[in-house]
Amino acid sequence: MTEQSKLSPFIAEFNGVSMRYSGGPEVLKDIHFALTPGSFHFMTGESGAGKTSLLSLLYLHHEPTRGRIRLFGQAVDTLSRSAKAQIRRQIGVVFQDFRLLEHLNAFDNVALPLRLCGEKESDIRKNVSEMLTWVGLEKQMKAYPNALSGGEQQRIAIARAVIHKPALLLADEPTGNVDDAMAKRLLYLFLELNKLGTTVVVATHNEGLIKSFNFPQLHLANNHLKIIPPAEKYSDMTAKLFKKEAKNG
Amino acid sequence: MAKKSEFLFSKSSTRFFLPWMCALMVFIATLISAGGIVISNSLANWQRGVSASLTVQIPTYDKQGLPRGDAVTQDVEQTLTLLRTTPGIIGASPLNNAEMAELMSPWLGTDASITELPLPKLIDVTVDTSNKPDLEQLKANLNAAVPEAILDSHRIWLDDLINLSGGLLDLIAFVLLMLLATVAITVIYTTKSSLSIQRSIISLVHMMGAKDLYITLKYSVYSFKYAFWGSVTGFTLAIPVMLGLVVFLKSVSTFMLQASLSHTEWLALLSIPFGMAALAFCTTFYTVQRYLKKFL
Repeated sequence: MTEQSKLSPFIAEFNGVSMRYSGGPEVLKDIHFALTPGSFHFMTGESGAGKTSLLSLLYLHHEPTRGRIRLFGQAVDTLSRSAKAQIRRQIGVVFQDFRLLEHLNAFDNVALPLRLCGEKESDIRKNVSEMLTWVGLEKQMKAYPNALSGGEQQRIAIARAVIHKPALLLADEPTGNVDDAMAKRLLYLFLELNKLGTTVVVATHNEGLIKSFNFPQLHLANNHLKIIPPAEKYSDMTAKLFKKEAKNG
Repeated sequence: MAKKSEFLFSKSSTRFFLPWMCALMVFIATLISAGGIVISNSLANWQRGVSASLTVQIPTYDKQGLPRGDAVTQDVEQTLTLLRTTPGIIGASPLNNAEMAELMSPWLGTDASITELPLPKLIDVTVDTSNKPDLEQLKANLNAAVPEAILDSHRIWLDDLINLSGGLLDLIAFVLLMLLATVAITVIYTTKSSLSIQRSIISLVHMMGAKDLYITLKYSVYSFKYAFWGSVTGFTLAIPVMLGLVVFLKSVSTFMLQASLSHTEWLALLSIPFGMAALAFCTTFYTVQRYLKKFL
């Protein structure tokens, strides 16, 4: 976790954020929310509601057309390119379509974020091997993505997103290609990370998972964001914050 | 486990096109640069030689085309006396028939009998380059003493040659610039094509926090590597051709061109492949930096 995140009470803050794609209609309107360190949220909403767009704002792939975003305590519109790169290194992203590099094997795909950060090759070997074992793919280390099943590719994508122990993990439909049992197993991986302090946002349609894990939801409907607190008792500071925000309208 | 690059350079046109283009461009650039050096050296040599010598011509036939007979010998003697007493002239000697024949051999061949031709008598004059004579004064004195004598300082001939050589050197510089521009433009387009093919990879590593410099250096070093090997190949191929040309020039035109290169000049030529690879590196660097501005 960075110096900034220690100073700021939030990992991410959105204040009146709207977004549109090159002259089109606004896909996100007047979004307000904040993520506290160590929180876990589901991001829900119909297909096309703007979940992927909201995630892309969080990992700095797009910029808002209105409003202000602060990540790790820093206003992103004032950051230099180098500072933005530094922020991206603290974010792990699991893409809906995995985005594995076809010419790299499972090991090299997972090692990629560490290599970009300039980690030592000996540390990379150790950490990647452990991570692949953690996601149950130690035997597929040398396999290329096209030789792996959808579920295996999904786990490689997750391993790659978390290998550098990001402060913020964003997962876009990470359980879309796996059965319910595997979906729960993957969620437990995210929970383990969350217990270690990583803030997690999981965009999903899987009602079963949402009910089973009972985390607050960032629900998108009609281009607006609504925060749905957990159904039952949820005593962490995130829940308190969202309850307070919901009360304030 | 061997580290593999995240960028898919094997699909890049840079890999196939750049080395061949650099080889060809360096081959041409080396040959024309060597040509430029030879012309430049020869020019300096001619200037040195010409400024250190004069020629006096004594016509052997009068204006009506009749032989001047003994008057020629008298004029030669008088001219020599005048020249040898002129300050700044350290030597004056008439050319004999053998020397005249050698001088005329490039035009008349070695078998021609020059005694049958209406050639003037030539007096070769050596000038003290640190204390040159006043040529206008010498011309006036010569005209008074031997009205038939003609003083030739070679200036007109040299000026024409300097103009021609200067034009050739300008042309060489222009062609070199065109070669460099061709390489730069080609590198820009092959890099753009490669960036376009790898857009999804670049986007991914960018989102993972790769800095612009990281991506730029990966591309630039790759370009440098292929440009360098291509350039070294082109230079290696140019060396035997260059040596062949030197041998050929020496055999046909020793009196005109100084067809040899010093160690410094060889080193200057050796810098061409490095320069070409550096150009590829810088052009790629600039192109990738500009491309990355498309990403936030």
